[in-house]
Amino acid sequence: MTAFAQATLYGLLQGGLLALIAVGFSLVWGVMNVINLAHGAFVILGAYVAWKLNAALGLDPFLGMLAAAAVLFVLGYVVQRYLVNLVVNAPIFITLLLTFGLSLLLVQGMNILFTANYRGIHTSYASESLAVGGVRVPLGRLLAFGVAVAVTLLLVAFVKRTRTGMSIMATGMDRGAARLMGIRAHHVYALTFGIAAALAGMAGSMIGTVGSFNPAAAGGYTLLSFVIAVLGGLGNMYGALVGGLVIGLVESWGGQYLPGTWVSALAFAVLVLVLIVRPSGLVGRAFYASRVEV
Amino acid sequence: MKTTKPVLVLATATALALTAAGCGSKGASQSSGSDSGPLTIGASLSLTGELAREGQLTKEGYQLCQSKVNAKGGVKVGDTKRKLSIKYQDDTSEPDTAAQLVDQFNDKGIKLMLASYGSTNTEAQAAVVERNGQVMVDSAGADDKIFQKGYQRTFAVLSPATEYSASIVDAMADADPAPKTVAFLSADDGFSKTVTKGGIAEAKKKGMKVVGEEYFPAGSTDVSSSLNKVKGKNPDAIIGSVHLEEGVAIVKQAHELHVVPSGGFGETVAPPTPDFAKTLGDQAENVLGSSQWTPTTQGHDTYFGTAKDYAADVKATFGHAPDYHDAEASAACLALTLAVEKAGSAKPDKVRDALSSLDTPSFFGHIKFNSKGQNVYKPMSVIQVQNGEAVTVWPQSAAETKMVWPGTGA
Repeated sequence: MTAFAQATLYGLLQGGLLALIAVGFSLVWGVMNVINLAHGAFVILGAYVAWKLNAALGLDPFLGMLAAAAVLFVLGYVVQRYLVNLVVNAPIFITLLLTFGLSLLLVQGMNILFTANYRGIHTSYASESLAVGGVRVPLGRLLAFGVAVAVTLLLVAFVKRTRTGMSIMATGMDRGAARLMGIRAHHVYALTFGIAAALAGMAGSMIGTVGSFNPAAAGGYTLLSFVIAVLGGLGNMYGALVGGLVIGLVESWGGQYLPGTWVSALAFAVLVLVLIVRPSGLVGRAFYASRVEV
Repeated sequence: MKTTKPVLVLATATALALTAAGCGSKGASQSSGSDSGPLTIGASLSLTGELAREGQLTKEGYQLCQSKVNAKGGVKVGDTKRKLSIKYQDDTSEPDTAAQLVDQFNDKGIKLMLASYGSTNTEAQAAVVERNGQVMVDSAGADDKIFQKGYQRTFAVLSPATEYSASIVDAMADADPAPKTVAFLSADDGFSKTVTKGGIAEAKKKGMKVVGEEYFPAGSTDVSSSLNKVKGKNPDAIIGSVHLEEGVAIVKQAHELHVVPSGGFGETVAPPTPDFAKTLGDQAENVLGSSQWTPTTQGHDTYFGTAKDYAADVKATFGHAPDYHDAEASAACLALTLAVEKAGSAKPDKVRDALSSLDTPSFFGHIKFNSKGQNVYKPMSVIQVQNGEAVTVWPQSAAETKMVWPGTGA
């Protein structure tokens, strides 16, 4: 029973982190219909920013996370405004190629800048854990989970309650109509991409704190984001959170009761199953599949 | 949901990978089988992709060998001295590409090869080397599987995979108190699995009870499930057959989950890497690891001197502490050089024969190959992280200091 409780808790905490990794990817896909293959590279770049600040200035990664978010926001905004916007109306194949190329560029750039060595941000507390009954609650992961949930809630509030947030959603629903209402679509797109990159950067800092990373890990996080976004569904800010938690739990329970090498297959089996039963994802909206691009 | 999207992602990635892999072409002939001019050797290396770190270290090892040999005038082939010239190509850490590059070198007439990093790449290359009648010295492919296919043209300077965790088991068996129960955690790639099987066999031979054998996908940074499974079995020691990222995850997450074996942790190749202690800080203390080479390895040769000389050379040339990846690469290049000198020819068949009968001490330890092409004559060293540094603690003959045991302080 203790083992089950431990696996469940660990799965939930891991799921929260996965959600934070994927939430930006899901946002960009949902609003702009752009599958950003450079998302994983943004995550890793965020990890490097927090790592560098920690190594050079001794800055705590939970503060470094904010710096990583700022750096990535600027990068994301610029990339979208001056690069992706040029082809955002083109067939999806073009944006795929562009972001794939961007990913190669970023990963190789980090290879040159930071070398391919594995890094981790070492803190005195992140690997400590609290004992609750027979279950250990890892502190670093608990904090990361808290950040993930808080950020998702903030994002929901931002999108639902602020004018800028609503213009993001409106542009996502119908670009033509949004333009007619006076929304500057190019700016809104860049803003969305910037926010997504900032969230990826925050997730990267968390990954660096509870685990290790190097440039080559970028592709894995892109794939993971893809699975979580599809599983959770597009068009709902909670989609990535739900998707992340499901993947976290499935991997944790699967790892506990099945041979450990089956976990990846299991996660994809769940994805396939969900898509058969709910083709728009767990909480996604079918509307997004049939929207009109103008 | 547009179902075509995942397909497109895959299609894009595949198309780009194919373009990248296929863009080599047949160039001018630079025969390494000829009898004059520089002695050209081909090396496919993982300079980008997931093995970029180890690939870079391997390249350093080859480069250092080239400069050492050329500093002495070159390789003595018969009566003439020929400069060593190693040609590098990036295989992007992909076995298919590594194998294609071997073919490309062959098209250019380059018959003598130095292997890429890792068992998967080397295994793919060995098949092509055999078909083309080339000769390859393997610097980092330790999986016994490579040598069970009857190949006659691939020679590995390093100890076989089965020794990696077996040597840690032996070191623990010599400790006081020796662990009575042991659990094995392992990545699921071919090399790591072979390592684990070797460790389990050795543990049973030494009378230890194996209470757990858990596998997780290679490259995992979350091994909590495997740790959770062995936690209830209270092993005296936990031995991981891992690469760096999984090794770091085991120690970090064992700490989080409070999995504390009464004896300690052993983790094959992760602890000898300086990044291990850097990433983990205090938690890395007293973790055991196994290494193909340490600066206290016994033996010397004319090109590199002793292991200590080699360590100083790496530090002076590349500005970092010596890594065994450097050493095994240099040793592979050294073996090829010595074989060419012994054969008095760069013809692949003659070099092959010279390699099969090579028997020499070196800075890397004894280099000699059995009938399968493996170097089973060199022991592995066991290291322990003490005060943030990896120090040799086993075997006794090469130990720098005493092993701290129990390592967990329990």
